[in-house]
Amino acid sequence: MTSRELVRQSLEFFAPPRIPRQLWLLPWAEDHYPEELARIRKKFPDDILNAPASYRQPLPTSGEEYSPGIYVDEWGCVFENRQKGAMGEVKEPLLRDWRDWEAVRIPRERLSLDEDSVNDFCRAHEEFVLSRVLGRPFEQLQFIRRPDNLYLDLAAPFPEFFRLLRRMHDFYCEETELWAGTEVDGLVFMDDWGSQHSLLISPDLWRKVFKPLYRDYIDIAHRHGKYAFMHSDGQIEAILPDLIELGLDALNSQLFCMDIEELGRRFRGRLTFWGEIDRQYLLSRGTREEIREAVRRVRDAFFSHGGVIAQCEFGPGARPENIVAVFEAWEAT
Amino acid sequence: MLNEIQEALLKGKKTEVETLVDQALSSGLPTARILNEGLIAGMEKLGILFKNNEVFIPEVLVAARAMNAGLAKLEPYLVKEGIQPKGVVVIGTVKGDLHDIGKNLVAMMLRGAGYKIVDLGIDVPAEKFAAAAKEHQASIVGLSALLTTTMIQMKGVVEAIRAAGLRIPVVIGGAPVTREYAVEIKADGYAPDAASAVEEVGKLLGL
Repeated sequence: MTSRELVRQSLEFFAPPRIPRQLWLLPWAEDHYPEELARIRKKFPDDILNAPASYRQPLPTSGEEYSPGIYVDEWGCVFENRQKGAMGEVKEPLLRDWRDWEAVRIPRERLSLDEDSVNDFCRAHEEFVLSRVLGRPFEQLQFIRRPDNLYLDLAAPFPEFFRLLRRMHDFYCEETELWAGTEVDGLVFMDDWGSQHSLLISPDLWRKVFKPLYRDYIDIAHRHGKYAFMHSDGQIEAILPDLIELGLDALNSQLFCMDIEELGRRFRGRLTFWGEIDRQYLLSRGTREEIREAVRRVRDAFFSHGGVIAQCEFGPGARPENIVAVFEAWEAT
Repeated sequence: MLNEIQEALLKGKKTEVETLVDQALSSGLPTARILNEGLIAGMEKLGILFKNNEVFIPEVLVAARAMNAGLAKLEPYLVKEGIQPKGVVVIGTVKGDLHDIGKNLVAMMLRGAGYKIVDLGIDVPAEKFAAAAKEHQASIVGLSALLTTTMIQMKGVVEAIRAAGLRIPVVIGGAPVTREYAVEIKADGYAPDAASAVEEVGKLLGL
């Protein structure tokens, strides 16, 4: 059985012979632990890969996203960073005044995707292949406005807010359609919706403004026979029923910010839990035994003839031996 | 009148709060009552709603903006009457960390609770916390970190404050931070969110 089939069986709850795995990697890990990382890669190869995105028109970015200094993304948002291997923060808003909303430049260069290279990649690999991250409306708005301004905007949005969001969403839909036309297996979108203890905005506001956007992304994926994958950090229990209602296939979330057993009782078998194992404590400071117990909890809560992907993130602070412990624990389940 | 100030604040109605504070002052209500029973009481209610997931960050930010507008109206009277803040909080995000959304939220809630805030910003070295605490005669120091790689700086700040001979409490918070970690680095307090930070600071200062 290929990795692609394994992942599909997990997503369809067809009792895969083992739980598929995927290691997420931040440049920090490559910088700090190149040899350990190579050994992890060899011992626990990924069943899920991300298709490289190459474009016929260069994206108008400048600087390095994960290096100290200034990075400008393709929208023109300016990130300041002081830590190698991690992402920076937007300190000055791109859009200071909503009257200038039309000046926000949509990065249409991303629509010049070299689809042939994506398809070649898919054909050359037997793993399950995901797109790059596509729709990311809430976070991109934060980058455009700076987070504190955006939260104030959301308390009483101007009409221009909705106009800009519409333009962004139209672009994301166009890009999602483009990727849906390739041979990737799944389409990915993301937005971090939770703080450590709750949703960042009210569930009602989320349902009114943002849920319809995700509905469109998921519908596009399904219309083209693709799986819909989403990532969100934080405590997002309040919107899980909504995401399931929209037909989301796989969700990567910070399970350890939530009541894992309660989530399992409510949602097992209705959605695939694409990781993760806690990166705020366990991967950096946890013991081998604590990690084994964490994996057992996730498996017991969510596995039901599938519905689980053994994912964790090797990012700033994580120890390589703990990443190994995660995958060993999954193998032992 | 004081209830109206609270209600307007909870709704984030900045202009209304300003008008009501003006009216309260004109009507002869004591400044301390307007502050404590109007603005601060409103922010206390907001803290409870936030903790119970009945309001979220946007509502807190607009309320804090209204609070600040009301405070600005009161400021000359507070100075004139010698009304002191509950305490001085030196706050900042530790060295190497540029994240400040959580820290700003905590600062707003503390200001709303009647504390004077000395915000040192982001990427703050340990020595700067200690120096600012001395300079401003801080009652308490608050540290924030978002990353597992930067939270380790908190230990150095606690040590720098003790090395400076200051016996004031240090309270920590941020996504990866836990109460166990606070105990481990000998910080005096921990708050998981902005509303809890107000409670924790009050508890540590015996208020």
